[in-house]
Amino acid sequence: MENVIEIRDLRKTFGPTVALDGLDLTVGRGEVHGFLGPNGAGKSTTIRILLGLLRRDSGEVRVLGGDPWAEAADLHRRIAYVPGDVSLWPNLTGGEVVDLLGRMRGGLDESRRAELLERFDLDPTKKARTYSKGNRQKVAVVAAFASRVDLLLLDEPTSGLDPLMEEEFRRCVHEARAEGATVLLSSHILAEAEALSDRVTIIKGGRAVESGTLAELRHLTRTTVTAETVSPPAGLADLPGVHEARVSDGRIAFDVDSDHLDGAVAALSRLGIRSLTAHPPTLEELFLRHYGETTRDKAEVGSR
Amino acid sequence: MSGALTGSRHLVRLVLRRDRVRLPLWLIGLGGTIAWSALAVPAVYDTPEKVAGYAATVGASPVSYLMSGRQPGIDTIGGITANEISQVAQLGVCLMVLFLVVRHTRAEEESGRAELLRSTVLGRHAATLAGLGYAVAAALVIGALTTGTMLAADLDPTGSVTYGLGLALLGTCYAAVALVAAQVSGSARGALGIGGSLVALGYLVRGVGAMQDNALVWLSPFGWAQSMNAFGDERWWPAQFLVAATAGLLVVAARLTAHRDLGSGLVQPRPGAPRASSRLGTPLGLTLRLQRGTIVGWSVGMFLLGLVYGAVLSTVPDLLASNPDIADYIGAGGVAEDAVTDAFLRYVLLFMAVASTGYAVSSVLRMRSEEEAGRSENVLATGTPRVRWLAATVVTATGGTLAVLVLAGVGLAVGRGLAGGGWSDAVAMAGEQVTYAPAALVVAAVAVAAVGLAPRLALVAWAVVAFVGLQVMLGAILRLPDVVSGLSPFWHLPGVPEEDLAAGPGLVELVVAAALVAVGLWGYRRRDLDSA
Repeated sequence: MENVIEIRDLRKTFGPTVALDGLDLTVGRGEVHGFLGPNGAGKSTTIRILLGLLRRDSGEVRVLGGDPWAEAADLHRRIAYVPGDVSLWPNLTGGEVVDLLGRMRGGLDESRRAELLERFDLDPTKKARTYSKGNRQKVAVVAAFASRVDLLLLDEPTSGLDPLMEEEFRRCVHEARAEGATVLLSSHILAEAEALSDRVTIIKGGRAVESGTLAELRHLTRTTVTAETVSPPAGLADLPGVHEARVSDGRIAFDVDSDHLDGAVAALSRLGIRSLTAHPPTLEELFLRHYGETTRDKAEVGSR
Repeated sequence: MSGALTGSRHLVRLVLRRDRVRLPLWLIGLGGTIAWSALAVPAVYDTPEKVAGYAATVGASPVSYLMSGRQPGIDTIGGITANEISQVAQLGVCLMVLFLVVRHTRAEEESGRAELLRSTVLGRHAATLAGLGYAVAAALVIGALTTGTMLAADLDPTGSVTYGLGLALLGTCYAAVALVAAQVSGSARGALGIGGSLVALGYLVRGVGAMQDNALVWLSPFGWAQSMNAFGDERWWPAQFLVAATAGLLVVAARLTAHRDLGSGLVQPRPGAPRASSRLGTPLGLTLRLQRGTIVGWSVGMFLLGLVYGAVLSTVPDLLASNPDIADYIGAGGVAEDAVTDAFLRYVLLFMAVASTGYAVSSVLRMRSEEEAGRSENVLATGTPRVRWLAATVVTATGGTLAVLVLAGVGLAVGRGLAGGGWSDAVAMAGEQVTYAPAALVVAAVAVAAVGLAPRLALVAWAVVAFVGLQVMLGAILRLPDVVSGLSPFWHLPGVPEEDLAAGPGLVELVVAAALVAVGLWGYRRRDLDSA
């Protein structure tokens, strides 16, 4: 498979702050690639380097077969970008911004523009200064999907969107993928990446710590279960796939690998379930579990 | 009511923390310039003959009336000092309070930070009160520095105190003007535009009133401050006008605050076009659209300024009749009329050209604010090369500067014609204004180079504007050495119409400007985009 994005040993510092510390990232043509990491892990810095907005200190970066710094403008005709924090010209209307960005990118699909405005329920006659954060985000999303491009760089694109719009956004990503576009989707929400991505790269402290298909990363997606049972919850900790079982006040909490969820729940059921909650791990828990330190250490890194 | 002011103290502390560099720069920069100039005066006018000569010539010249008003006690060293510094001191203190007030009121609201603050225990009028207190304190410091310097120079104590107080009250009055402007406009840029226009208006009305020696001076805060007659027959009652105007404006500002939503101006935004016009699709189309209001505002303002200066041009020779000494001072016999008019015109052309650098630099620095706000990123993530994006701003700033200068010149010619001064050489007169374009473009090009090379220091371009202005207004009294004066591009250009036009210096300056722009483009191509 031909790669649309290839990053090897990428480094970038801002003064004393190390934002990227030897990052590797490969995104194949036509795939939706989840780019996961806590705040400040270096996701936005990576995307800005991919756009040629920032210059790499060292390492190799190829985007669509070109050098993103030297060939920025040419490459951008084939790339659309949704920033995490959309800033628009306050005295232009949303419709004007969509047109402007589309034209500067080299043209936009008229029927798609109209359809997207409809789907995202966006009033194009409103001045950008009157838009809420979510509506500014929608302007950027509409502008990005209205041009037919080969690569979409989406930096936490759903921040500020309500659940309905988030759903609409997910449909847009699926459609773009069906048309053959490649998508790099950065997020700090594991569930979002799970719902959309073919492959996932997890970045922390400016370095990729895991990369692979979701099946390959299944070991990361343990479920956290909390239950209250009629009989005392003994022996659960010894079940296969159950980790970190702890009992207090007759309640048991444990993490279980997804493959062994069935067995664990069956065991609970035999004890008589009074109450049961289960939730997928948050990224924070994941890091705590797998890398033994809190993600807050590097929270300031690369927040630019 | 106290509830509406709750939290002002915390806000003042925040303001002081945010401006811990900016405020000292203003105070030292402006106060230092005033002090330096005031202390230079006694050395220049060191004999009674020179003092008497000043009173008869410079101090009674139409240029002096227009720029500094009719200064009382002009035949004393105190009066001369006041006359020499008042242009910089008065305009400086007004602009200082304007920038400080807008920065901490409307600009905060526009950025959304005010919302965060208002959600804490903070009264509705706390921001207004904090902004006012802060600006008034700054104006008082400038006034005190001025008085202190004058006392140090051994000038008349009553005059010194009166002058400093007048200056501080003038600043206070314009702080209130700025507070109202910040309520009216929905954007900081708009508030600065309104406030700046009102400073210019007050200054202009006082100048024209002084030239014609009529009641117009009583319509301007500048006139009220001057009517306190520092170094003449001091009187304090005109200060009441300044205090009353301040109080009135504060009431207006408070009412506007109480009747509008946070974040909005008086004019509610209307829906706009659902589609972009065909022009809005290129970097140049975008910058022209973004700067449309600025260009139109400056062009209209400079046209009106030119119109007024042109209209008073024909009255310049009248002043000769009442003061024959000036004729001797400038030239002999029949040509004196032309000579004094030319000298007046030269100063007006130079003054308006220097003012146009304000537009030029603000236009270029829009590039910087676009970048800081993260909007340059939108553009550069499309197929727009960096050089084209910055070049669009360079083209806009150049075109806008030329438009502003042409309109100032046309205003001058039209004003003269309408006032009965004839229409001969009207085109040439407008053309004379444009001969200063190379110097204005050099200043703009410094800003381009700064944006390209050192974006975080780009505001330094304003220091260039300040220097160019000070060189024109104070260069003579400070007896700046030529190497220093020569740093101003305006210093090298021939002073038309007094001096003959020569193409050489202007062409050299255009080359310098082009080189600076090239450096800026080079830097902008190779640096990181700096957005939050």
